[in-house]
Amino acid sequence: MSLQLVFDALSLGGIYAIAALGIALIFGVMKLVNFAHGQFIACAVFALILPTADAVAVLGLGALPAVLLIPAIIGFGAGLAVLAEALVFRPLRHASPVALMVGSFALGVALQNLLLVLYGGRPKAISLWPDLGQPVQIGAAQVPLLQLIVIGAVALILGALALMLKRSRLGLEMRAAAEDFGMARLLGVRANRVISGAFALSGALAAVVALVLVAQTGVADVRMGGQIMLVAFIATVVGGMGSLPGAVAAGMALGAASALLQAFLPDAARPFRDAFLYALVILVLLFRPQGIFASASAKPRV
Amino acid sequence: MKHALTALALIALALPARAEDLTIGFAIAKSGWMEAYDTPAATAAKIRIEEINAAGGLLGRQIKVVESDTRTDRAEAAKAGLDVLDQGAEMMVVSCDYDFGAPAALVAEGEGMNSFFLCAEDVKAGIQGVGPNSFSSSVLAPVQGATMAEWAHAKREARTAFVLEDTFIEYNKGICTGFNWMFPQLEGAEIVGNDTFKNDDASIASQITRIKSLPAEPDVIMLCSVMPGAAAAVRQIRAAGINSLILNGSAVDGSYWLDATPDLSGFVLPVQGSIHGDDPRPEVEAFNKAYEAKTGARPASQYAYPGYVLIDLWAKAVERAGTVEGAAVTAELEKMRDEPTAFGPRSFSNELHHQNTALMQIVEITGGKPARVDEWRISQPVPLDVLMGK
Repeated sequence: MSLQLVFDALSLGGIYAIAALGIALIFGVMKLVNFAHGQFIACAVFALILPTADAVAVLGLGALPAVLLIPAIIGFGAGLAVLAEALVFRPLRHASPVALMVGSFALGVALQNLLLVLYGGRPKAISLWPDLGQPVQIGAAQVPLLQLIVIGAVALILGALALMLKRSRLGLEMRAAAEDFGMARLLGVRANRVISGAFALSGALAAVVALVLVAQTGVADVRMGGQIMLVAFIATVVGGMGSLPGAVAAGMALGAASALLQAFLPDAARPFRDAFLYALVILVLLFRPQGIFASASAKPRV
Repeated sequence: MKHALTALALIALALPARAEDLTIGFAIAKSGWMEAYDTPAATAAKIRIEEINAAGGLLGRQIKVVESDTRTDRAEAAKAGLDVLDQGAEMMVVSCDYDFGAPAALVAEGEGMNSFFLCAEDVKAGIQGVGPNSFSSSVLAPVQGATMAEWAHAKREARTAFVLEDTFIEYNKGICTGFNWMFPQLEGAEIVGNDTFKNDDASIASQITRIKSLPAEPDVIMLCSVMPGAAAAVRQIRAAGINSLILNGSAVDGSYWLDATPDLSGFVLPVQGSIHGDDPRPEVEAFNKAYEAKTGARPASQYAYPGYVLIDLWAKAVERAGTVEGAAVTAELEKMRDEPTAFGPRSFSNELHHQNTALMQIVEITGGKPARVDEWRISQPVPLDVLMGK
């Protein structure tokens, strides 16, 4: 029972961590809270099926074998995010952060309605890799194979991303831009390259979340992504706006706390699980208003 | 021939009856996510209207339909209600769901006009939440839950049940309320555990862990949920190797979601009529054919049917009252006791403008294929205080 719970907590936390990372990456380089991130996830899910308003979904990209499907969907997510940056956020680059945020909301609403027009309002079923549901016996716990894959993939992605940020030129530029964008530009960092790079990574992460969600739930719905976006945003706030390790840690913590509350809250209180979860968030923010891992740029420079 | 044409032309001229047309206003979602639920029921309502018009109309008047879009938005719904009122509506048909239909229904109530929800199954969508002239022709959610409880007990020897409730909408709560009321009353039956989840939860692993830690696998799992969460929950329950019979409400009717769990078996739900072409009542299949002729496809779920039934019942009441005036029609509707319709008998009273018991068809999914296997009517109506959640 307890080992099972560890896997439940890790897999949910992993999904939230990846989603939070997608938001923190963009916030780091351009101080934009991208509220359209949830719709990026939804679009990547719907990219698996052909656009039709019929009740039964027909697999499009989703029919490809996994070796092609995974890069295709990740590429789709990255492309969508880069396109959104070029068409929506680049013209707004010098606008106030509030205008940027409103712009991201507008983009989210536009994407959601685009999906409604193309696919209709009814949820669709997608049978993606049903074999991943097979339970695997680990000690006393029976864990669905997918949970293990999620946990493994999250670890892999985090490792690769950390390596990229530490070792590659783009990673160095992104870290520099997160620290002080003006100074980085003066030292020869090209703003468009860094920002496009951050959007591409963020979109790719949204696509990873989309694949995990579909494999887990088997459905596509235009409203999906919204709840994950909310949790991910809260995770970036709790983790410290702009801090990548903070976003990952807080995403993980929120997922774990959610799984634990579900397991241990008494019957009558369980429907209010999220209220307890967010009460914990408030408690953390009361003691650390700047978040757990506040980045240097978050402090006012006076 | 020439004379016949002249006669026809004369008849056409003699029918400038526009002013005498009887107008029904549809304040429903024609865009946004509710559209997928409102359009089939509204189409069914129009099929019945066309049948009535073809048979000479209602009170000698042809029925005309006017529409306004609520855009799946509560504030827009009130505006849509006012809009169809401006277009001369004398009766109003509103969105499927209580939350999205009530703003328009309240506009109708303010005019002393009848309003019908397209398929609401929450007791509030009627006297309790709108006013004395508001109705729904669908079957209350608690009746669906109670039907599942009694049927599974009688026909599948269900003695232990786990109740898994999705806290997303009132409908889900209603299903569980009905089940929780009926099941423990039955001989030897016991609810051995319960849990909740949210429709958009990314994972219900913790809930499944709770089911698996029971001393024995429960005979049935009462899943009170709607799409897309219901399909996600079923996929995860079966993936975890739990083989209990899964019960749900009518909301998951239709085969469009079955790909989410390939080869699903042991999943049962109650419906008002079967869309699968195997309903024993010929009227139901006749309707399915009429729907296909009008739209090019058979109904995707049973939620087209209440639209047909509501116009049927309302028109009967109007004939009997001899007027469309709200209070008079309401009085006739409230006299209905087991009034026959194509989809089973319907009753209304001055306490309840809903069905607290109904003959339901039982649909079971086996090997990924849904089929009607049985029918059931609960042995006693769900009492009002249970419906009200007391």
